[in-house]
Amino acid sequence: MIDATDRDPKKFRRVREVKAADILLSIALHPNRSTVLLGSSDANVYELDLTSDGTERLKLSGAGHRSYVTGIVAVGSRAISCGYDGQLVWWDLESREALLAIPAHKKWIRRVVAMPNGKYVVSVADDMFCRVWDIESGEMIVELSGHSAMTPHHFPSMLYAVAVSPDGQWIATGDRVGHVAVWDTSTWSKVSTLEAPILYTWDPKARRHSIGGIRSLAFSPDGSVLAVGGTGKINNIDHLDGRPRLELFDWRVGNRIHEYEDDTCKGIIEQIDWIPGTDWLMITGGDHKGFLTVFDTQTKKALHHEGTNGHIHAMTWDSEAQALFLAAHERTEMWSWS
Amino acid sequence: MNLNNPYFALNRRRWMQAASLGSAGMAANMSKISLIGQPAFAEQLQRSGKNVILLWLAGGASQLETWDPKPGRLTGGPFATTKTCIPGIEISELLPRMASRLHRTAIIRSLNTKIADHGQAYELMDTGRTKEPGVAYPHLGAVIAHQLAAIDSKVPDYVEMYTSTEGRRKGTAGYLGARFNPMFLTESMIPDNLTRQKSIEDVDHLDRADLQHFLSKSFRHRQGNLAVDSHATAYQRVRGLMASDYLFDIDREPQSMRDHYGPTQFGEQCLIARRLVESGVPFVKVARAWWDSHGQNFETHQELCADLDYVMSALLDDLEQRGMLDRTLVISLGEFGRTPQINGSLGRDHFAQAWSCTLSGCGIRGGTVYGKTDDDGRTVVDGEIDAGDLFATIFKALGIDIDQEFMLGSRPIPIVDFGSKPVLEVLA
Repeated sequence: MIDATDRDPKKFRRVREVKAADILLSIALHPNRSTVLLGSSDANVYELDLTSDGTERLKLSGAGHRSYVTGIVAVGSRAISCGYDGQLVWWDLESREALLAIPAHKKWIRRVVAMPNGKYVVSVADDMFCRVWDIESGEMIVELSGHSAMTPHHFPSMLYAVAVSPDGQWIATGDRVGHVAVWDTSTWSKVSTLEAPILYTWDPKARRHSIGGIRSLAFSPDGSVLAVGGTGKINNIDHLDGRPRLELFDWRVGNRIHEYEDDTCKGIIEQIDWIPGTDWLMITGGDHKGFLTVFDTQTKKALHHEGTNGHIHAMTWDSEAQALFLAAHERTEMWSWS
Repeated sequence: MNLNNPYFALNRRRWMQAASLGSAGMAANMSKISLIGQPAFAEQLQRSGKNVILLWLAGGASQLETWDPKPGRLTGGPFATTKTCIPGIEISELLPRMASRLHRTAIIRSLNTKIADHGQAYELMDTGRTKEPGVAYPHLGAVIAHQLAAIDSKVPDYVEMYTSTEGRRKGTAGYLGARFNPMFLTESMIPDNLTRQKSIEDVDHLDRADLQHFLSKSFRHRQGNLAVDSHATAYQRVRGLMASDYLFDIDREPQSMRDHYGPTQFGEQCLIARRLVESGVPFVKVARAWWDSHGQNFETHQELCADLDYVMSALLDDLEQRGMLDRTLVISLGEFGRTPQINGSLGRDHFAQAWSCTLSGCGIRGGTVYGKTDDDGRTVVDGEIDAGDLFATIFKALGIDIDQEFMLGSRPIPIVDFGSKPVLEVLA
């Protein structure tokens, strides 16, 4: 593991780009190979080696998804993906075949993340449930409920984001209207709620619908701070025309300790990662283009911005946190600190 | 008198037909005229009582997330399809209630209107033809009001509700004259200035109307032009319009009916629309803005389709249960559709080459799909129609003669654009 002193944000650069016809929505590092797993808008899961010159993607086979693949995690020899078809699909990474597909939610599944213990995965969906699943058996362990199904304006709400603290003690979930719930995994009870209403824009006059929502959550390494991402208020909600907005909470106390809007770009924060070994966040997302921002949580300042050609939907790091892989609109990218 | 006034021209023709048969009570007693077999009056009688509710999907709804889904294609987006009550026809899963009611609705999947700019496309879909310098074409609502309104109607002929500000534009009667301009409701659903001022007693109000009528009568005879006639007609209708304010008050509906239409503003407006057509208003436009989803198209359609599906199905149910659906045409239409190509913001942009609309109820053969787009929804491959053809279809469904012409000066202007043909396949 390299430390922060080995990383110069200003030297962070794209080293590879592989274009595609589809939209890459989710990404995970293959546990055993130098490849990434990609969830696509064509309902497939692919394996791609971004560290070599090849561009061929290997399609995982079998009874998989029927809609956008919006989340994927890899644990041991398996990967678990989620999709807008409401399914969780288990994949054998050696044979590259589907092992199991379960109807996990009645509406779109937005994200799936793995618990640090390697035993469970956690999914969130627009049925407004967060569900915890046993990786080995595929059985549901528990269902966490409490997010409202409807917005205050009588539209269906959406449960976009989920994060697990590094020690596995806490799960955070975030919804369309800016409501965050934090759950204790030892009792599966709700222990805190937070509000980030600026991330939800309701236009009551010009267009009469809404945009936004909490799209990303991340716990700090010690679990005390929760980073919440989305987009700020938008005047013209025809477009993702707001500033990427980050809010940091001391969630146990319920205090918002910092808020930051990136004035160098527009769009929505799709993912926030605490960069291993640093106090920095890597923030990514976009509007019709993409952005990468390195944000220092100590100085509360952005250290570096990068723009990309396509909206970035998801990112993952290699095992040394030296390379960053991006799933983006009609492309996959690899970035490096040097 | 100005015989070139198109409104007059049509009614003059009818008057002459009636006069030649010695009927003096033309406007007052239509049933007697129909009995003597005059085609023009038989046609009017056939049309009488018919009306239209236009659900205007302002900004341009996506045909791919509504009536012409393309599942399994990259252009198709993430939504699945749902089976409808008509075997072999599937629509977007975002419209489950409409799926079970498709027997009342015809889907047209083959509009190619070419214009993908909001302003020009509005103009096209409002009038059924491209803009022409020097000719103020009337909007659809005005033409239908002109054709269907009773001469002595006590209720508005043409009501538009457009609450959102984006894309808001008032309809116009163009060369048909101010009589057929819409009552345009924006901020409030209760029309402004419809109630008598408290400072004026009712008897005083009546006296003023009599005085106005007395003074204007000879003036009208001397001037005899469209503007003066329209002005006088509007005055004559004041009392009736004032008495119709209750139609806009949905508090008069039982809570169960309000629940039936749901809690959204669009639902409340469609309930008002039903009250209006029930009372004889020939044309009501309810604009549901704003569908212009350049970013986050799928989230936007999850919200707006939920509203459309619930309210449109509630409206059709209500009209059917009241026995009104066979004389009420419900149209869902916008100015264009949206691109099959999904942009970087997961949005869809303006697209007019291959998009959809629906017609339900009066004169429509429900459970039909007309036209076809290619596998990716990029082009029409069968049954292409334009705005003029759609207007001809709407008129035909209402029993309006699509061969008639308005005289604008010495220039005949057909009620539908030159060469337009109705889609007979969707007509009952």
